[in-house]
Amino acid sequence: MSTEAISVGIVMIEDDEGHARLIERNIRRAGVNNPITPFTNGTEALAYLLGPNGSGEVSAGRHLLILLDLNLPDMTGIEILEKVKSNPHTRRTPVVVLTTTDDSREIQRCYDLGANVYITKPVNYESFAHAIRQLGLFFSVMQVPETA
Amino acid sequence: MPISRTTFLRSTLLLMLIGIGALVAVVATTIWLVSHTQDYFDSVVTLRKSRAALVELRSQLQDAETGQRGYLLTLDEAYLAPFLRAKEAVPAQFALVEQRLAGRDASQLAKLKPVIATKMGELEETINLARAGQRDKALDMVRTDLGKTAMDEARGILAQIIEGTDQLLNDRVEEQNRSAAALWWVVVVAGIVILAVTLLGGLTISAYMRELAAARREVEDLNMGLEGRVRERTQELARANEEIQRFAYIVTHDLRAPLVNIMGFTSELEASLAPVKAYISHLDPPPIDPAFREAKQAADEDLPEALGFIRSSTRKMDGLINAILKLSREGRRVLKPETIDLRNLAEHASRTVTHQVAEADGAFDLDIKVGPIVSDRLALEQIVGNLLDNAVKYRRKDVPLHIAVRARRGDRARVVVDIEDNGRGIAAQDHERVFELFRRSGAQDQAGEGIGLAHVRTLVRNIGGEISLTSELGKGTTFSIVLPQDMRTVVGSIAA
Repeated sequence: MSTEAISVGIVMIEDDEGHARLIERNIRRAGVNNPITPFTNGTEALAYLLGPNGSGEVSAGRHLLILLDLNLPDMTGIEILEKVKSNPHTRRTPVVVLTTTDDSREIQRCYDLGANVYITKPVNYESFAHAIRQLGLFFSVMQVPETA
Repeated sequence: MPISRTTFLRSTLLLMLIGIGALVAVVATTIWLVSHTQDYFDSVVTLRKSRAALVELRSQLQDAETGQRGYLLTLDEAYLAPFLRAKEAVPAQFALVEQRLAGRDASQLAKLKPVIATKMGELEETINLARAGQRDKALDMVRTDLGKTAMDEARGILAQIIEGTDQLLNDRVEEQNRSAAALWWVVVVAGIVILAVTLLGGLTISAYMRELAAARREVEDLNMGLEGRVRERTQELARANEEIQRFAYIVTHDLRAPLVNIMGFTSELEASLAPVKAYISHLDPPPIDPAFREAKQAADEDLPEALGFIRSSTRKMDGLINAILKLSREGRRVLKPETIDLRNLAEHASRTVTHQVAEADGAFDLDIKVGPIVSDRLALEQIVGNLLDNAVKYRRKDVPLHIAVRARRGDRARVVVDIEDNGRGIAAQDHERVFELFRRSGAQDQAGEGIGLAHVRTLVRNIGGEISLTSELGKGTTFSIVLPQDMRTVVGSIAA
């Protein structure tokens, strides 16, 4: 499996458009030019990831990386995480939880469900921008498996 | 019908008095009857003795007559013996009768005495005649019926007296029978009364006891209900408390999200402003258009100023949100009760301010008069640490700092910890306000957000305690913390 030929798509599930914009900018600043597909609610995001029938077959053969916020208007990010990680087609997709919540139980729960990275959004913008850029650097070097 | 305590006491007392009365009646009647029986017995003995004496007198008179008749028939002296004996005995016997009768039938006796004398005289005379050999003359004298009449009269009088005596004896027996019957009635009636009183008393007592038992059961039921209600309310309170903490937590997180945007885009704005500023300042020569001057002023002064205010405001807001978050998180923290030596803890906490105390030329006193308590160590450390920090922070610069930590035993298994300073004090109207979030008192010459004491109060309440203060402006402040000796006894019931 080679990385150059296959473009890894970043799926960003974030209800706050401002946050989405700031995240996108900072990822771009880190030199990551992969396509970013933004979603502002869980229903649409799940429809994209698992298909309208929820089977997940639409994701077969995709190279995806999910950026997930936990506070969404229609469902919690935990639900999305659960569905993605229990679906045979998407379970290998790396999920980065990026949220304001820093409750330790919430963090544990996310890792238990199979989250790959958990990052708390720093309120201070310099730290925020720095963290996102680090994440972008991380994306540029990480290997993303093809979904089954 | 419920029996009141006084009614019960009164009725049982009354019944007891009635019972005692009946018993006293029985005893008194018995004593009276015993003494009466004694009297009866004495009088019966006397009557019997008088009767015996009367009968004896009669038989002596008969003996005397028998002796006279025998002698007159036989002229043998031997037959005279009964007469001689009787002649000897009759006066004494008569005296005895008089004595025994003790004045009774005195008239009869008075009549009897001459009759006996006549009879005895007639007997004597006939015997004397016979002795003198004039038996015929004696017999003639007998035939005059003088002796017979006297004898009959004596017999009649004696029979009357004896009959009277018998009558008296009968009367006495009759009387005794009546007394015995009266006693029987008294005993029976008193027995019935006592029985009735006992029964009534027993019924009253059992009714009262039943009522007591019922009342006790009711109290127990009420108690159980009360405990249940308290438990229910406590659970409701715990739920409400949890909800409030959860609310605070969610609100702070939701407030954070827009704040991230404001701060983020402010930075973006600043970043965008930089090239604009650079471009304007590098225009050479600067255009003379008045719009350019305005644009330059905006880029150089107005925009950076506005951005600066946005930044400082967002930073402040971030601080406030963090403070609320800290408090809500403190409420969510699981407490770990452990045995804590207050002296140890206070010494440890004082070490962190030792340097500042020494700098302020100050002194630190420790006076712990209580043994170990069971509480949450982290919470206690933060409480004492915060209060000591405040004492140092709000000291009066013109006097040497003096801090004292005292612990003593309070009432109801509680411990009172006083932390006293000689700092600038808190005005009376602010005594309650200082414990509120974001509220501060006095001159605002120290950095701070007004979180410390609010945090301390939350911590103290979490471990089941209460905090209050006494203070005089310009003299100093004493914070008093009342803590349960064992927080498990207090907090356990809240968390349940």
